[in-house]
Amino acid sequence: MYSALKRFLLFFLLVASGPAMAHELIPTYPKLEQSYVPNVYQTKVKMWNGRIDVEYYKVEVTDSEWNPVPFITNEQIFRLEYMERRDIEIFVPSSSKVTYICTRSMLEKGNPQKSVISSKVCSKIK
Amino acid sequence: MMDFKLVIPLASSLLATGAFGSTEIIGSVDSKCIIVSETPGVYGNPNPYQLTTAPSSGGVKPIIRYDVLVADYYKAVIDHPEEFTSSPTLDDVVTWTGDVTVSEVSDTNMSDYDTNKVEYNNSHEYELTVSGSTWFTVSSTADYGSTKSFPAGQYTAVVEAECIPL
Repeated sequence: MYSALKRFLLFFLLVASGPAMAHELIPTYPKLEQSYVPNVYQTKVKMWNGRIDVEYYKVEVTDSEWNPVPFITNEQIFRLEYMERRDIEIFVPSSSKVTYICTRSMLEKGNPQKSVISSKVCSKIK
Repeated sequence: MMDFKLVIPLASSLLATGAFGSTEIIGSVDSKCIIVSETPGVYGNPNPYQLTTAPSSGGVKPIIRYDVLVADYYKAVIDHPEEFTSSPTLDDVVTWTGDVTVSEVSDTNMSDYDTNKVEYNNSHEYELTVSGSTWFTVSSTADYGSTKSFPAGQYTAVVEAECIPL
């Protein structure tokens, strides 16, 4: 009985404390589709900010060798409040070799922490 | 005289209730990677020339948790710091050392992650071959010059945690 309670408390603490500092991007494998503009593809990813210590994120689009690929989105650096979600629409030329779409946390200058964690989560175009 | 304005909506409401007697709940599990910054980490200053996250020297090691819902979809790449992102002006070389290790796992099948990891430069790459949570602990030490004292001020270094689809 005591052990079951301990396990429940551990699980509760993990679930309750876990998302406090989390960063998520879905889907894992988005698909490029023809946009309403000829020769331009579009796709959509969704980000969730569970990091209370981060308010700004940056969108990065690269090829398979991590070289930047030109793209258009609403805001490359955007503000996302804690626990909020955001749909990110991305437009790329149909000739470009897009492989990764990533969001990276932006850390503010003058952050009082002496060591901070920058998170980057990517989706992959297959 | 019955008011037909009331009867017709009532009858259609009853019919509608009958038509939707059973309801489906549809769910799906998609692959997903979540990076959780559990402990930001702090540098201790055991010697004037050294900043370290070693707990024995007053530091705190950063801990990062990766949650993956489906196995074999992602790899984790964690870089320990190689420079300060903010510091007072430094006029000598800083020597950086660091490491990343798996400190806790939610599944015993993750126990060989450290053995199978790939290291290059300051990067540590782990294939997340088991679904669940993995905790990674990062250690970092910065030595200034040849035992030269660090100037007074705030020092910030960044641990980069990436989750890349395979």
